[in-house]
Amino acid sequence: MDRSSNETYSVSATSLLVDKHILTGVTILIAFLLVFFMLFPIYKILVMSFFREGIFGLENFTLANYIKYFGTPRIFRSLTNSFVVSVMTMIITTVLAFFFAYALTRTTIRGKGFFNTVAFMPLIAPSIIQALALILLFGRNGLITAHLLKVDWSIYGAWGIIISEVLYCFPHALVILYTTLSAVDTRLDEAAESLGANALQVFWKVTVPSAKYGLLSAAALTFNLTITDFGNPVVIGGDFNVLATEIYAQVTNLYRFDLGATVSVILLVPSVAAFMFNYYVTRKSFALISGAARPFIRSSRPLRKWGFTLYCSLVSASIIMVFATVVMGSFVNVWPYDWSLTLKHYRFPSLGGYSAIWTSFWISLFVGFFGALFTLIAGYIVEKKKPFGVQLLYLLSVMPAAIPGLVLGLGYILAFNRPYYIFYGTPWIIIICVVIANFTLGTLSSISNIKNIDPSIEEAATSLGSTSISTFVRLIFPLSRVAFFQNFVYFFMRSMTTISAVIFLVSATVHLAAIEIIWLDNDGWTASADAMATCVIAIVLVMLGLLRIVMGKKGGPVMGGGAA
Amino acid sequence: MPRNLQLKDLTKVFGTLVAVDRVNLEVQEGEFVCFLGPSGCGKTTILRMITGFETPTQGDIAYDGRVINDLVPQKREFGIVFQSYALFPNMTVSENIAFGLKMRRMPREKIRNRVDEILDLIGLRDWRNNYPAQLSGGQQQRVALGRALAPNPTVLLLDEPLSALDAKIRVRLRAVIKRLQQELGITMVYVTHDQEEALAIADRVVVMQEGIFKQVGTPIQIYKNPQSDFVADFVGISNFFEGERQDGTVQVKGIRFVAPDAEGLPSNKVILSIRPEKIEIINPERPPRDLEPSNIVKGTIEVITFLGAVVRILVIAANRDVIVDMVEKEFEERQLNRGDEVEMYFPPEAFLVYQQD
Repeated sequence: MDRSSNETYSVSATSLLVDKHILTGVTILIAFLLVFFMLFPIYKILVMSFFREGIFGLENFTLANYIKYFGTPRIFRSLTNSFVVSVMTMIITTVLAFFFAYALTRTTIRGKGFFNTVAFMPLIAPSIIQALALILLFGRNGLITAHLLKVDWSIYGAWGIIISEVLYCFPHALVILYTTLSAVDTRLDEAAESLGANALQVFWKVTVPSAKYGLLSAAALTFNLTITDFGNPVVIGGDFNVLATEIYAQVTNLYRFDLGATVSVILLVPSVAAFMFNYYVTRKSFALISGAARPFIRSSRPLRKWGFTLYCSLVSASIIMVFATVVMGSFVNVWPYDWSLTLKHYRFPSLGGYSAIWTSFWISLFVGFFGALFTLIAGYIVEKKKPFGVQLLYLLSVMPAAIPGLVLGLGYILAFNRPYYIFYGTPWIIIICVVIANFTLGTLSSISNIKNIDPSIEEAATSLGSTSISTFVRLIFPLSRVAFFQNFVYFFMRSMTTISAVIFLVSATVHLAAIEIIWLDNDGWTASADAMATCVIAIVLVMLGLLRIVMGKKGGPVMGGGAA
Repeated sequence: MPRNLQLKDLTKVFGTLVAVDRVNLEVQEGEFVCFLGPSGCGKTTILRMITGFETPTQGDIAYDGRVINDLVPQKREFGIVFQSYALFPNMTVSENIAFGLKMRRMPREKIRNRVDEILDLIGLRDWRNNYPAQLSGGQQQRVALGRALAPNPTVLLLDEPLSALDAKIRVRLRAVIKRLQQELGITMVYVTHDQEEALAIADRVVVMQEGIFKQVGTPIQIYKNPQSDFVADFVGISNFFEGERQDGTVQVKGIRFVAPDAEGLPSNKVILSIRPEKIEIINPERPPRDLEPSNIVKGTIEVITFLGAVVRILVIAANRDVIVDMVEKEFEERQLNRGDEVEMYFPPEAFLVYQQD
């Protein structure tokens, strides 16, 4: 072994010098981007709502907007309406999802895989197709109301919103409750039974209390999703205005940015509160999860089995019905009179049309790539490196989940509608906004993935002379490949389906498919709106299929989302 | 000019916990030093400070006469072997070994030669294109060893490298490490909680407890002449007797031992320690002469355990357990059985005397 022969080779001093500052640099850069593209727009909204003309200064401070808001019954009603709808949705969804999760985790019914897949379908579509489907079935000209039952009743208004939102929020609540119920030891139930409790007592005294944090968390998330949703209420709400539609109406129809900003602040309060409550509850719930292995579930009695099978079938049928109705609505000549099949609704009459689908597609590719990349880097820094300000970075990374997309979008107008922000009015502002709006879940999943990498691996690389950058490129990234693809598809899916975050950012030159659905529906081209929704769903499905192929059998379900 | 590794008043504090408390040591070039101690004694923290993953709270680490406290790990050029192997799962055996060389921008051709050299050294030439997950634990740790040695480090640091392996492979790999160290003449700093391993492999052993060095010495010094009851207990097996010193003898409950006069101990409260193999079970047919009569103690055999070449006998004497080791051959001749009454002899010079805490 010739010792001297290798001594001429050593790690480059320049790269080590760069390495010394690179982490701090990247941390500051990401923190800056989050501040600039998240906090700055929110700040602009606050200024717009509290100061005359949106100009910050003591002499301009005013509560006029809030007085106007609370003093105008029609506008003020949006607050109470939002609460009524959100609370109702919250209760119904949590209960429905709880029994569904219970059936999947605590009974021996058949077809669990099928029920599971169906339950997650709503995640692949914009939160507007529920309303579109309900209108086709129960609207003024609905198949069931007007033609089968021949009644004068239609679904527009509060109940329309509630039912749409329940169908939309269901998978989000289910993820949480499924995880909770899988984690709680079923032997608790058996122990209670052996002590003489009957089935009902076991359910109420053991099962429900042991899942209480999951229930609270699911409820908070459902509340948040509903109160911030825009797509469903704008289509099916009719005269029933909620906070989200009110913001849109003030800004787009009345050009009252000050009132729009004011309603945004009022919407921020419950949504941030629900987020913080959820965050707090999620932390607590981890303590309840026991690592003990669970014995297999005893075979359920026939009555119980049939009951739960029937229940799950009904829920699944409702979800399938939404998709089937919209897809069918896009292919039949005149719903519900002429059932002959046609492709004419796919000749989009609007300005956007297929170019909107194309724009959505490539914007979503960018969102997928940048979203997955930035959240991976942020997750890596938060989890592995603990440089100065890492706590701040973590806080900034989880904050976007608390901000309603519509509010963020409005903030972007107020903050960036200046000639010197050259990205304004281009697709880039949409890419940035969607990445930021979904940053939380991406970062959280990156963190949990990076936690699984043995810290010694990084230390081994460092001791062998590797810099942070080369460790990231050669090790962290390859070892996070699966998580990166999952995050890519998650961001892609969110970008294809999101409405609220981008509705203020589309322009005469940049059209998006999800927004086109609203325009088409608004202009009376309902069938074409269905066709556009069908196209979005098809693209997302193709992407999910690609993910499956890329990841082979290893790929877990990408639908783990929602639990932000 | 030998390149030595020096720890000077090295201290590490985590919050309120003093993990390492003003330790001093000079490791000679080419020396094999082993840090031995129970978990949480601070031995791994010292290793992590030498590697550069932790910064000393106080004191210095110096190499080749230069303080390296602020030098980044990449510049220290020390090789590290981890308990968890820490192989790169996305790279083959060859790629793992080549990693450190690539980082040093060594030309491709030279990397290939060096990797071949290392593969021969660790005996895994046929496994070069396999991924770590396809290797056994022992093979993985050999790859880790090869990977750390490839860039020709001046010092190799090993953090409990064998404790994840099963006993047989542990002993075999221990020999591999020792052979490599002697062949390459490399300085090695090795951390373990296994006293047998430390004694078998090191030139010098550092016994640690609660952040301080209890004793530094060759394996023989540590074993034969432990300077405290902690070291005597932690390294090997010892019998302990607490007692009081009275004019040349030590009064232990029910027994009066003649023991060496340990001078300089501040009080009369002492602990006597004696290794099991030093105690003799007197053969009544051939009684040895010149015994110190007061050091003969009667007892009853309670348990007999075969340990291969040695038989370990537990004797109850004056209500206390005494462990005696006897060579297997002698044991066979004597035909001792459980329940036998025996006389044990404690040679006075075999006792070590410590102060009671």
